Amino acid sequence: MVDSHFDGALAFTIAQSTRQAGLGASASGSDFDTQWDILRSALREIHEKNASKLSFEQLYRASYKIVLKKQGEMLYDRVKEYEEQWFGSEVMPKIGKLITKNLTNVTLGGVPGTTANERRITGEQFLKGLKATWEDHITCMNMTTDVLMYMDRVYCQDNRKASIFTTSMGLFREHILRSKAAASNCITFDILNYVILDMIHMERDGDVIDRNLIRSCVYMLEGLYESDDENETEKLYLTVFEPEFIRTSNEFYFNECEKLLRESDAGTWLRQTRKRLAEEAARCQTTVSQLTDFKIAKVVEDQMITLHLNDFLAMEGSGLKAMIENDRFEDLTILYQLLTKVDKSQEALKIALQARVVDLGREINKSISETNFAIAQPKDDDAAAEGADKPKAQTLTAAAQATAAAIKWVDEVLQLKDKFDNMWETCFEEDRIIQTALTLSFSEFINAEPRCSEYVSLFIDENLKRGIKGKTEAEVDAVLDKAITLIRYIQDKDMFERYYKKHLTRRLLLGKSESSDVEKQMVSRMKQEVGNYFTSKIEGMFKDMSTSTDLTNDYRQHIQGLGEVDRKQIDLTVNILTSNYWPSEALGGGKPEENGIRQDCQWPSEIRSLQDSFTSFYLKSRNGRKLTWLGYLGHADVKCHFPKIPGKESSKERRYDLNVPTYGLIILLLFNDLPEGSYLSFEDIQEKTQIPTMDLSKALTSIAVLPKARVLRKDPMNKEIAKPGDRFYFNEAFVSKTTKIKAPVMAGSSNKVEGDEERKATEDKNDEHRGNTIDLCVVRTMKARKELTHQNLFAEVIAQLSSRFKPDVGMMKKRVESLIEREYMERVENASVPTYRYMA
Amino acid sequence: MGDIIKRKDQLEVQLKDEHQLIQSGVLRDESPLDVSEQFQKLCGACRIGDLKGCQEAIATGVNINARDHFDYTPLILASLCGHYEVVRLLLESGALCERDTFQGERCLYNALNNRIRNLLLQYDYSKSTDPLQPLASHITSLLTRQTPTTSDITLTASSDSWNLHKFILSARSPYFKKKLSAAPETKVWRLASSIPAEAFQVAVRYIYLGEVPSDLGLSSKSFVTEEEILTGIDKISKQLEIESLWEGLLSGSDRRIARQRHQDEVTRGRDQVEGWFRDNVLKFRVDVATSKVQDVKWIQDNGIFADVLLRADEDVDQEDELSSGQETPKIRNTLGPLNGIPIGPSESSRSPSKTRKPRQSVLFPAHRAMLLRSEYFQTMFESQFQEAQLTEHLHVIHVDCSPAVLEIVLQFLYTEKADIPLDLAIDVLFAADMLFIDKLKAKAAVVISTLGTGGGSALVDRLHTESGDEVEMEPINVYDVIRAGWITRVQRLEEFSARYLAYRLEDYIDDEDFEELIKESAQRIQKRQETDSIELLDDIRYYLSERFRLRFEDSGLEDMMDENGEIDAEAAQTIAASSDAKNNERVNDEGIVMNAAADPFMNGEIRTLDGEIAGDEFAADAINYQVLLGKIETLLEKLKLDA
Repeated sequence: MVDSHFDGALAFTIAQSTRQAGLGASASGSDFDTQWDILRSALREIHEKNASKLSFEQLYRASYKIVLKKQGEMLYDRVKEYEEQWFGSEVMPKIGKLITKNLTNVTLGGVPGTTANERRITGEQFLKGLKATWEDHITCMNMTTDVLMYMDRVYCQDNRKASIFTTSMGLFREHILRSKAAASNCITFDILNYVILDMIHMERDGDVIDRNLIRSCVYMLEGLYESDDENETEKLYLTVFEPEFIRTSNEFYFNECEKLLRESDAGTWLRQTRKRLAEEAARCQTTVSQLTDFKIAKVVEDQMITLHLNDFLAMEGSGLKAMIENDRFEDLTILYQLLTKVDKSQEALKIALQARVVDLGREINKSISETNFAIAQPKDDDAAAEGADKPKAQTLTAAAQATAAAIKWVDEVLQLKDKFDNMWETCFEEDRIIQTALTLSFSEFINAEPRCSEYVSLFIDENLKRGIKGKTEAEVDAVLDKAITLIRYIQDKDMFERYYKKHLTRRLLLGKSESSDVEKQMVSRMKQEVGNYFTSKIEGMFKDMSTSTDLTNDYRQHIQGLGEVDRKQIDLTVNILTSNYWPSEALGGGKPEENGIRQDCQWPSEIRSLQDSFTSFYLKSRNGRKLTWLGYLGHADVKCHFPKIPGKESSKERRYDLNVPTYGLIILLLFNDLPEGSYLSFEDIQEKTQIPTMDLSKALTSIAVLPKARVLRKDPMNKEIAKPGDRFYFNEAFVSKTTKIKAPVMAGSSNKVEGDEERKATEDKNDEHRGNTIDLCVVRTMKARKELTHQNLFAEVIAQLSSRFKPDVGMMKKRVESLIEREYMERVENASVPTYRYMA
Repeated sequence: MGDIIKRKDQLEVQLKDEHQLIQSGVLRDESPLDVSEQFQKLCGACRIGDLKGCQEAIATGVNINARDHFDYTPLILASLCGHYEVVRLLLESGALCERDTFQGERCLYNALNNRIRNLLLQYDYSKSTDPLQPLASHITSLLTRQTPTTSDITLTASSDSWNLHKFILSARSPYFKKKLSAAPETKVWRLASSIPAEAFQVAVRYIYLGEVPSDLGLSSKSFVTEEEILTGIDKISKQLEIESLWEGLLSGSDRRIARQRHQDEVTRGRDQVEGWFRDNVLKFRVDVATSKVQDVKWIQDNGIFADVLLRADEDVDQEDELSSGQETPKIRNTLGPLNGIPIGPSESSRSPSKTRKPRQSVLFPAHRAMLLRSEYFQTMFESQFQEAQLTEHLHVIHVDCSPAVLEIVLQFLYTEKADIPLDLAIDVLFAADMLFIDKLKAKAAVVISTLGTGGGSALVDRLHTESGDEVEMEPINVYDVIRAGWITRVQRLEEFSARYLAYRLEDYIDDEDFEELIKESAQRIQKRQETDSIELLDDIRYYLSERFRLRFEDSGLEDMMDENGEIDAEAAQTIAASSDAKNNERVNDEGIVMNAAADPFMNGEIRTLDGEIAGDEFAADAINYQVLLGKIETLLEKLKLDA
């Protein structure tokens, strides 16, 4: 123990002013050696793990005194020297023993001459040895630092030297890791790197390795730096190990991916990639450093996913197509998850999915056009084989078939939609980008089918008429949802509106609608989806219906109040239709006459008086309105009396309640006054009733041709529709099992797919309407802007109309031209770009 | 600066507000009226800038934040009179200059120059802390500290347990004092299970000088209500006899009041620990012959719960002078005043030494928990060396200083107090440096740089105060001080020494040792490679100019100073140079108007340092200044140094 208190150099007695030179260099030499001897032997003890007997106080005092005497530098250097010596004489030989010839050879890139197991054992021994060395070193240096605290704080800080701990770490780096062990010609660090990487490789191949051991070595590398500045980005782990690790991993995964591409299918690839990603993440947790986490993930993603993504997606039998086809939801889920890591915008998946949707959609479209073709075929046959019975029936079924095909088309679209929706929910985590992509594709192929508006409307019609019968509210809701989804896809909303109104008209006037609640629900949904303007007319139609019911009731009461009992009791039900709510073409059977004014028919007197009575009642409270009676839309209940059939004994007098179209009633009334056995020709009837040819033909067909209510006899007797030249007799022999008979309604009164001609008419009408809408929009825009370039005007108008339909540019040009003619606007002269000006 | 310092009318509003708060008893008056003689002495010293007087007055324990009849606090006086060093001393000793208080703002308002004002702003309360806070937070931190283990008793209550320290418990709670002195070996203390653990938690924090939370921190997970806890605390405080716990709880949310309460509590806690320290650590010190130290065996479970013995050896030289000695080495007893430090009543008889006694050592029983405040001890106890291992008998750890110094160190560690006599100050400085106790180091430096000035008032220019050649007995050896300053890296001491030397330069300039000192200073700079000037000489030149400038109050130098604001070393140089030029002018100019009345020595013959007879004292000063600067140049040439 050295316990001289403030040895000579420091001692100064107070107030004695001895003014001794105090801390001069006189006392250096031997004194330093004494203290250093103490410290050196202590260092030895510390390194040999015998420190518990040492006194901290004594060692600290020794170093303290040295530093006070300005010999800190000497001490610092000596300690360094000691460490270097220790590494050289004690540590490296031990490590040298662990480095076998094999280890050196394989590190130098030679072919491993040993089995994996042997390599693992030697490697583990090497790592263990290195780890032990490191841990010893840390322990020793912690203790040394404690003892040399005063030197660190005073000498090192004053002289801006790295602390002794840092320096000793540097020594470890230089003398252990970066030096060559005896009898080997590669440096320890390379061997260390190689061994760790080799072990990781073994683990990737499925072997079990000692993770903790590697972890400790990685910790060591994380604790060491390139220089004594201890810059965080210059950890040896980051500068030396990690790049090597990334490089070998890149290689490994490149090969693995190549192999998968050669030997496996996409499903395997997906699972393997997922597994590898998880493995690497776990490896960063347990074996190497967290710092590498996202870097190694990037390697796997790059090599396994990005590089060959399209190859795998295109794989026959297991690629994306097969996955979608066979509902391999698990595969798709993994695929999505993996792709999310690589590319947030999901470009590849998006494109593939879109292509797939459009393909499938095209198939559906194709099948429907084939069906249409199939219909057209028999029609031709029909024309060829006129007169035959068989084709007649076929025509009817063909039309029905077309309707059924339309509904089938919608169903298939919906199925497809369901499939992708389901996929989107289960596999794609309801990804917004993918949803948008799918919507786009659906919209694309749906609008590729020119009749989509009609089909969708028909689908709704079908469901509202029959489809929802017996369904629960939730199911009905689902149907409505589907319908709305489809409407959303349709671009030409005005077309759809037109068809919907047409179909709705039939449902309402013919009382075919299953539930008015559901109808209203549908309307309110459409209102939400498409907008107010879209449904305002449809709502008007519903309103008309309900006011009509009220009106009928009021009228009945009015009649009873009059007490005109003597008149023949004709019960009247009226539907007052506001003309611009209802589609005229849907109302009309035939086309309007040339002059555009519909020729009213010759009503029988009974009916005329009834009409007059109602008209006067109606106009009493509503001045200035005009009522037009549309006979072809109404129907009447007629009580018919059939006498005994003369030739048949068994027959007796029969009474039937006949439900016929209003025109049918007018015709039948003609026969009331006809002598028995005489006939009326088609022309006669037409002359007497003034019913348009088309309507008359239909009405006659329904009561004279169709067997269900054939109360008239047509001559010639065949199944062709009534036409001029035919003669009609009262069919006295009419027999029916039921007393109430509903005369079947001729085709055209039921909603079905339009024929080509009809369709053209509809389109023309629609175009006309569009033209008006475009006019309106252009004028409105110009009025607001006063002056606008051609391009801007068109962009503006297209934007405004996009919710209703996609205007055709040619049509727009025409409309603008016509507006200029009508002096709504003019071209601006001398403008650099074509510009229009609004004319007030 | 206008936006920093409040206007006069704003100050008055503030005064009114504060008066109201104080009168209503909400706030304690931080500046009570003090008419005691000591306080007046302090005020006087602050007026004239007497550093030594200030330090002495402060050492008597006078309230430095009190005010005199004219509502002046010492800090206001010192800053008003422009005594920078005194202002610094006062601030370091805990004088308050808090923004948003009347006295604080007034202080700033009154500061003589910007240098002082900036100093005051630096010490704004929000930045400085309660001087006792480090002690309090150390004791609080013992509750959560993991390594090294210092706890010697475990308190357990239903679900929780706390690792505590017997000596703190007995210092703070009379109840524990009684119980633990009866059974010092107790390791576990079971608490009544009826009281919720949360209540104990509060009590334990209170005992360990932590801030008592204003809310009880009940989380939703607690199974007990606030009321139960409060009842529990009530019971505990009665049982443990720590009634003032309640005050802390009731302090409410007012920040200043809560702070005051906490400060009071910390002060009380400090006093309790201090009392305990005196009654135990000091009382049970062991004086023993150095050769017999190894025979002293203390078991772990001793009556004062010490877990380590610190040994300090008497100085051999002093041993001879001191007559006190011990008959038997192993007797514990207290010693009479040692080196002028009163440490309680003397019990032992001082028998005159018959023969030359063997070298003596003193052992202080101490507690690791408190020693941890020194980084040295912390490292020692956390290491794997001998001292950190638990053995049957307490380790005797040698501390390389005299017993008196060790006692001061211990006192500081236990109580944050340090009464350092000047003659021990350098030793304490070294010890504090060795043990890494920065605060104590600073305190020692303050003592040296204030008490060491000598004379009655500020550094007195001896050219004027001393008529004869009689050499004053200097209280310190300035060479020792500056070297100590260099070794322990205390800038303040370097400055102080430079100032000291500048004011007495004529005594030292021809001294060989001085030459030596300059050489050393030059070497230091070379090593640091910072500047090519000699720091010490620059400082001396600066203070020299200051010393002579004092004579030329009306020369306009003062104005320059104000313009420049702060004076840094470079500015000082330019000022020195310009004053130099002025000086020369004045010397040549015969028609100078002087302040003759200020100089009592006008009548006698006035000689300059080189023996010439000067026309008057003013001229003499100027010449003296030149002479001294010239000597410095000569010295530099001789040493072949550039400056």
